Amino acid sequence: MKLSARGRRILELTLPALTVVAFVAGWEALVDLRGIAPIYLPAPSAIVEYLLRMIADGSMGFNLGVTLLRIFAGFAVAAVAGVMVGIVMGMSRIAARVADPWIAALYPLPKISLIPLLIIWLGTGETYKIVISAVSAFFPIVISAYSGIRQADQGLIKAAKDLGANRRQVQMKVVIPAAIPSIFAGLHLGMGVTIILVVAAEMIGGSGESGMGYLLIHAGQVMETEKVFASLVVLAVMGALVIKAQQWIDRRVAPWTALHDGH
Amino acid sequence: MDILVEDVSRIWPGRKGTSVTALQDFSYHFRSGRFTCLLGPSGCGKSTLIQIMGGIEDATSGSVRVVDPALSSRARPLGRDSVMVWQTLNLFPWRNVLDNVAFGLEMQGMPRAQRYAKARALLASVGLRGFETHLPGQLSGGMRQRVALARALIMARPIMLMDEPFGALDAQTKIVMQEELLRIFDETRKTIVFVTHAIEEAILLGDEVIVMTARPGRIKEVITVDLPRPRSLELVSTKEFGMLFDRAFHLIREEVMKSLEQQAAMLEEAQ
Repeated sequence: MKLSARGRRILELTLPALTVVAFVAGWEALVDLRGIAPIYLPAPSAIVEYLLRMIADGSMGFNLGVTLLRIFAGFAVAAVAGVMVGIVMGMSRIAARVADPWIAALYPLPKISLIPLLIIWLGTGETYKIVISAVSAFFPIVISAYSGIRQADQGLIKAAKDLGANRRQVQMKVVIPAAIPSIFAGLHLGMGVTIILVVAAEMIGGSGESGMGYLLIHAGQVMETEKVFASLVVLAVMGALVIKAQQWIDRRVAPWTALHDGH
Repeated sequence: MDILVEDVSRIWPGRKGTSVTALQDFSYHFRSGRFTCLLGPSGCGKSTLIQIMGGIEDATSGSVRVVDPALSSRARPLGRDSVMVWQTLNLFPWRNVLDNVAFGLEMQGMPRAQRYAKARALLASVGLRGFETHLPGQLSGGMRQRVALARALIMARPIMLMDEPFGALDAQTKIVMQEELLRIFDETRKTIVFVTHAIEEAILLGDEVIVMTARPGRIKEVITVDLPRPRSLELVSTKEFGMLFDRAFHLIREEVMKSLEQQAAMLEEAQ
C-alpha cells in the first residue's frame, strides 16, 4: 500500500497514541475476560479510580511533593559540588591528580550499597535521603564537567589568546562556556540517578513514612496493587516532566547547543 | 609593519626517534602594506609558518621579528602586532555576532557602550547590519566569514595573518569574500599574509606570491604580481593574469608531484 506524504504524516502523529490506547484497552479486556484478581493485575480503570481517590484525599499530592523536595535538595547539592569540583579538576592538573584515585574508586561502586552505612551514621531521616541521592548524582556530574573542561575546543582557546585574552579570561570566557553542553549532559544523568536513589531510600528507610517510595512499598506490603500501579504512573509522569523541564532550561540557558556547526 | 622571518624551522618529533621537518630555514622579509600570499601543496608547512608568525606556535629554531620602517630601523621581537583569521573561523558559538566581534576589546576592558559602538560600525562595513544578535550557528558560511574578519579588524593591529580563510566556502561565496578582502586591503593598507593552495586566489589577491616547495617547506620562487589596484575578479580574464597563473601552475605542479611521491614512499615504508 502506498501512502501519500500527508497520510504518512497523519500516521506518524497518531500511531504512537493509538498503540498506547490499544495497549490499555487490551489490558482492560484481558483482566475483564480472564477474571484476573486485582492483587495480581488490576484493570486500568481500577487504577485510575484509585489514582483519583488518592489525589482527592491528598495522599498523592503530599507524598509526591515530599519526594520532589528531596530530589531537588539532593540534586542541588550534587550539582553545585559536582560542577565546582569538575571545573577545578579541569583547570588544575594537581587537583585532577588528587581527585582521580577517589573518583576511580568510588564511581563504579553501586551507591545503593552505601545505604546501610548511611542509616547507621545518619538514621533514616531527611539527611540520609538527601546525602545518598547527592552522593550518587555527584559522580556523573563531576565527570562530565571535568571532561567538558578538558575537551574545550583548542581552536577557540588559541583564537581567544590571539585576541588578547589572558589566562584567566581564557578560562572564564572560553573554557567554561565551551564546557556547558557537557556540564548539562552530566546534570541530566545526575537528575536521573537522584530520582532513582531518593525513591529507593524512601523504600528502605522505614521510619520516614512519606514519599513515593514509601507509598509504593507500603501499598505493596498490604497488597493494594492498584495503589502500586497508581504510584508507578505518577512516578513515570513526574520523571518525564522533570526531564522535559531540564531540556527546556537547557535551551533557554544555552540556545547555541541546539544549533549544529556553531563555529 | 615589516615582518622579518629568519631561518625558521619547525621539526615535529615522530615515533622511534624519527622526525618530520615541516619547515626548513625559511627566511623572508614581508614588507609593510603589502599583500603576500603563501602558496604551496598541502603539507608544505605554509600553515605552520603563519602560525609561527602569529606567535601561536613556536619555531624549533629561527626568529620572527617586526619593524616599522617609518618609526625605527631596529627590529624587535614579535608582540601583539598581528591578528589571525583562521580557516576554522573559531567564532565563539555561545556569543552573538556583536559579542564575537567585540571580544578583543572586551578583553582589554573597554566599556560595553564603547566596544559595541565600534563593533556595530565594523559589522555595518562588512554588510552585517541587522545581524548583531544572531548566533554564529544561525548564519551562512559567508556571513560567518565576515564576522571573523570584523573580529580581527576591530583589533586595529597592523598585520593581518590569514590561514586559508576561504578554503571551506562554496565557489560563489568565495568570490564575494575575495572582493571584500581586496576592498578592505585597499582601505586599510594593512600588512597581510595569506595562506592558500589556490593559485588563482593567490594571484588575484597578492602583491607577491611565495611558492613553497613540498615538505620540508622552503621558498621555491617568489612571483611578483604587478597588477594594478584596485583589483576585481575581471582581472582573471586578462593576459597578464594568465601568464602569472601559468608560471605559478608549473611551479606548483612540480611540487605536487614531489609531494605525491613522498606520500607514496611514506606509505610503502609504513607497510
